Amino acid sequence: METVLIFVETKGDEIKKASLELLSEGTRLAQTGRLAVEAAVLGPVAPHLESTIALYADRVVHIVDTLLDTYTPEGYAMALADYARTSSPKMILAGATQMARDFLPRVAVLLECGIASDVTAARWLDEPVTVVRPVYGGKVLTEVSCDGSPFIVLTRPNTFDIASSVQKTGEVVERQASLPAGSVKTRLLKKEEKPKGKVDLTEADAIVAGGRGLKAAENFAILEELAGVIGGAVGATRSVVDAKWRDQGDQVGKSGKTVSPKLYIAAGISGAIHHIMGIDTSKTILAINKDPNAVIFNYATHGIVGDLFEIIPAMTAELKKRLGVP
Amino acid sequence: MNIVVLAKQVPDSEALIEIKGTGEKLEIEQKFATSLFDEFALEEALRVRERLGGRVKVITLGTGRAVEVLRTAIAMGVDDVLLLDHEAFQDGDGYATALALSRAVAREARDIVLCGKQAVDDDRGEVGPMVAQFLGVPHVGSIVKLDIADGKAVAESLVDDGRVVVEVPLPAVLTAHKGLNEPRVPLVAGVMKAMRAKIPRATPEDLGLAPNQIGLAGSKVRIKRYVAPKKRSQVRFIDGDAYAAATEAVRSLMDVERVI
Repeated sequence: METVLIFVETKGDEIKKASLELLSEGTRLAQTGRLAVEAAVLGPVAPHLESTIALYADRVVHIVDTLLDTYTPEGYAMALADYARTSSPKMILAGATQMARDFLPRVAVLLECGIASDVTAARWLDEPVTVVRPVYGGKVLTEVSCDGSPFIVLTRPNTFDIASSVQKTGEVVERQASLPAGSVKTRLLKKEEKPKGKVDLTEADAIVAGGRGLKAAENFAILEELAGVIGGAVGATRSVVDAKWRDQGDQVGKSGKTVSPKLYIAAGISGAIHHIMGIDTSKTILAINKDPNAVIFNYATHGIVGDLFEIIPAMTAELKKRLGVP
Repeated sequence: MNIVVLAKQVPDSEALIEIKGTGEKLEIEQKFATSLFDEFALEEALRVRERLGGRVKVITLGTGRAVEVLRTAIAMGVDDVLLLDHEAFQDGDGYATALALSRAVAREARDIVLCGKQAVDDDRGEVGPMVAQFLGVPHVGSIVKLDIADGKAVAESLVDDGRVVVEVPLPAVLTAHKGLNEPRVPLVAGVMKAMRAKIPRATPEDLGLAPNQIGLAGSKVRIKRYVAPKKRSQVRFIDGDAYAAATEAVRSLMDVERVI
């Protein structure tokens, strides 16, 4: 039977959301009886995660090597490509995280195969497999396929539903990557992580984003509070980042991050095209703006014309009441 | 310090794009600009040269208006340019494009190869890492800070959950993110020089590439069809004072759409 190889990305004690989505897709594919699912994890992982992944896959391959102890694009690319050569999967799937988008193009070169980055829909069972990826900042979608195998597909976080119950009992095998000494030239000197408990913008279910209408950096506190109550992340527009009110990593839009949450709340954002390009595949957009003619309302599901400094705190209070948050 | 920059001319983000026929091709309004992230790469190359000396060469692939990115680069102050100009180079995927570019880079003296983290037309973000792999050198993606010393690059790079500082020996490929620098605006003298400049060209043959290795023929993935994104239905305005609107918004998001 043909196999699908899913690269599973972990962070601390958790499996990254985009990986869980693909593992869930994997279980659905396996049910058709046409494909077997293999999951690959690289480098050190918490032991209980292997067994969690095994609930979704027919086989979990844990690839280890001292050269994989920290992430490097060279090391990860070699290790995954080497393994793919032995197992000859039909597809290699990964969430379109920064990490995957960083090293999987190198895997495509090593395997001389096709890659589709940042995919937002897929027809896995078509022959050939066809995936959809946005281009020109989402103005146009392309349907893309690949003649050969493997076909590497990186899917945007929040594209697939996470399966609620899974009960496979895949075998877990450990594999030594045996990367040649000196083959990894990249050295990690320092890592600054976001404070614990903060949700990554690209995989957040809900994002509360602010623009110039926030008026000052300290006013983002009201967005932080709302985001905290609904377990979301805070985003920002380009002008806000350029004004140094927020960090570059918080920027949503063409020159920042592309996001696809279930809920995007745009507060005090006028709706410049380069911002819209980053939020186009969000499910529901709520726009709050003083100006009834703001362009953002052309893209929003719901709109409130009014003062965000009154509406955001009122929403936070109402949500606290309804969610039972003190 | 020999620096090679890979840059691309792309449709302006305001350009109108229309899908023709049953989705077999696009008609794009003739408004172009240097791809946003490539501007940061160009600027950084010039800054490294200003600090450490050396030469900057810019390479692009494409026909027609593609050459404009090279003229922009000359106006900004780069030393040399090269245009990969042949029909056979056209319409390639990330792989075919990276192969051609890496062959062109391989002919140059290079300590650093800089490019944008992705082109803002195809949005693939594949070419930088692929060129590095074709050349067998390390890369650092999405950099916002760069220091070069003692044959090494130390770069700060944005990752999903924060930022990392990474060291790689040269030669290396570095892909530029917004935040790396503020690109300069070319001076009039530079623009005049750029208009007069002769643009050197290379063909597939010059790079030792057969027509079936590049462009559409050399591509591993193919675009089967262009489709329009789903249109959003019209906005529903929520009326009332701040309290009433906020309460209704929460009700709608929690009880109707269930997105909270």
